[in-house]
Amino acid sequence: MTRTESLPPAGTGRRRRKRFDALPFVLVSPAVLATLAVVFYPMFTAVSMSVYDYVVWKPSSSRFIWFDNYLAALKSDLFWTAFRQTLLWIGCTVPLQLLLGLATALLLNRRFAWRWLARMLVIIPWALPSVVIGLMWRWIYDANFGVMNDFLLRLRLIEEGVPWLATTGTALYSIILVLIWQGFPFFAVMLLAGLQSIPRELYEAVEVDGAGIWGKFIHVTLPGLKSVLVTSVLLRLIWVANSVDVIYVMTEGGPGSATHTLPLYAYALSRKAMRFGIASAIAVLFTLMLLALVIVYLRRVDDSGGTRE
Amino acid sequence: MKKFRMLSFLLSLLFGVSCALGGQTTVRYWYHLDNPDNDYLKNIIGIFEEKNPDIKIQAELIPWNNFYDNLYTSIIGGNAPDCGEVKLMAMPQLVTMEALEPLDPYIAKWDAKDDILDDLWPKMVHADGKTYLLPLHYIASYLYIRKDLFEKYGVKIPTNRDEFLAAAKALTRDTDGDGRIDLYGFGYRGGKAGQEHWGIFVLPNAKEMTSAQLNDPWTVEANKFVVDMFREHKVMPPSAPNDGFIEIMGAFQNGLTAMTVNHIGTMPKVVETLGEKATAVKVPACGKNGEAWTNFGDEENAIFSASRNKDAAWKWISFLATGEYNKMWTDGSAQLPVTKSGSRAPVPERYKRFIDVTIESLPFAYSLPLTPATQEFINNVWPMEMQRAMLGEIPPGDMLKSFDELFNQK
Repeated sequence: MTRTESLPPAGTGRRRRKRFDALPFVLVSPAVLATLAVVFYPMFTAVSMSVYDYVVWKPSSSRFIWFDNYLAALKSDLFWTAFRQTLLWIGCTVPLQLLLGLATALLLNRRFAWRWLARMLVIIPWALPSVVIGLMWRWIYDANFGVMNDFLLRLRLIEEGVPWLATTGTALYSIILVLIWQGFPFFAVMLLAGLQSIPRELYEAVEVDGAGIWGKFIHVTLPGLKSVLVTSVLLRLIWVANSVDVIYVMTEGGPGSATHTLPLYAYALSRKAMRFGIASAIAVLFTLMLLALVIVYLRRVDDSGGTRE
Repeated sequence: MKKFRMLSFLLSLLFGVSCALGGQTTVRYWYHLDNPDNDYLKNIIGIFEEKNPDIKIQAELIPWNNFYDNLYTSIIGGNAPDCGEVKLMAMPQLVTMEALEPLDPYIAKWDAKDDILDDLWPKMVHADGKTYLLPLHYIASYLYIRKDLFEKYGVKIPTNRDEFLAAAKALTRDTDGDGRIDLYGFGYRGGKAGQEHWGIFVLPNAKEMTSAQLNDPWTVEANKFVVDMFREHKVMPPSAPNDGFIEIMGAFQNGLTAMTVNHIGTMPKVVETLGEKATAVKVPACGKNGEAWTNFGDEENAIFSASRNKDAAWKWISFLATGEYNKMWTDGSAQLPVTKSGSRAPVPERYKRFIDVTIESLPFAYSLPLTPATQEFINNVWPMEMQRAMLGEIPPGDMLKSFDELFNQK
């Protein structure tokens, strides 16, 4: 059979009736339905609950109160304390995770003995469940019997045990350190994959132009990693902002309000105080703030050269 | 054909099993344990199911820290158990939610009702005159002391507030001469459920937490006394603001603290670790005129109103409150039985001093006020305000203002 014989006569394709192809919709519908049920339904419920004075243990007295929950949240000192601490939480954790992850990725991209083992070990903090991490670090930081104090006392860096999690000045930073340790492997793995996709010829070309280690990093490595960096920072920003589990296990938001972030505050109001109305309002406010942060971030990335292809 | 036969056989087997189980009622029961390693309930369930072959108990162990969070959300979500453990303090909120089944008709017909300790029945009655709870066990908190350290340093066992502070100061010391404090007088619980410690000093004259009581100069001064023990006298470990159950008991058993407050639930472990070095005494009487307050720790069972197996649930919870089975429960949980017959049973000699102190503490053992605000006070308001005051973020008086607002103004 020749090629010309297998082709349909000219014009027949246009005349053929377009048939509705249901297969793509069938294939995608389970995922859509699951997302509607698990993400969108709770989201809409939260939005509707946020305009009601809804307290779980007195459901019959629930009433529509317009935006009173939002106003009450914005007037509360604790909301603004939690807001400031959320900014600190995100602002310290994500950049430091990124720096540590980048350094680790660069190290793991070099050839050295037992590199395979190092690559495996580095993923352990990321693979551990958050509850295990929280409990483990709670004991490491324990003021009386913790390894941290013992270690620092032996090195004579401190004169007496520090109650890391029981002091306003240290509690949040102690947990930030834990989250940096937990999250840096994510950046390391993502960036390592990015590094391996940069063609070796580019390094050879800039070497010919006389670039040193720093020059290669600035002109080849960073531009080569840009799309991976943008995606990983965005994902990590959202995850860290929403992260509640490690803080909850380690301090439950205490001492006082020293480790309250906005998601934790919303969680405490809903699960401990059973005040779902105001807790939902805080959750909605936080979602809007996070959305604004993500939009600003993506715009800035686009303005500075863009990553969209 | 072979496959068809196999399928038919499996279907018949499934049908047979489901028929056999068809007459059985499953009762979902929620409970919590101080020591989950010792799940004594399994034995009791075995005996019950043998006596009641038509009932199957599906017991679900819920972690204590989130017990009530899970209970409330399960009730709202329509997935509440048939019955479960409930404390007196939770009764007002649960009654407001119409989540509890009145037990009066069942109790009226119950043969063993006269064996329940007479003092307990009145506590089970709600403000609406109905009884929603059936007693399961109870305790009264006492003061654990390191007898050996009191003797070694010649410290008098405290009976009032001044003596308590004097003892705590005398016991706070650097025992090995390295210049660092390694023994603290009092292991205070600044974290969740620490109101049981705080109440000893502040609530003897403010049991009902009325506005007048909370603003009384004596109460204000007593509250400052607690904060000062941490900030000024430094007789508590520096970790006290965050310390919870594990930390205070760990510090006491490891010799970091010489006194702490808990109850006979922890007695077996303390006896195992410290033997004769530890003992229990009544909490100091810290009231204006020598009154004392200690926590009455109760546990009851309730049937939830949404249950479709109320009769079977009653059979189960009444079984747990009956003479020898209640004793089995309390022997396992190291609490006091709620029956007269169980209370008369002999106790091992090594535990006797702890049980005697518990019984001696009952006349001044109180629950927190039974109002719908109590749960929020315990879960949220008390820990946050206490910690903020201990860390100097708010003056001690502001704590009481928050409590007054919660209990009396909201």
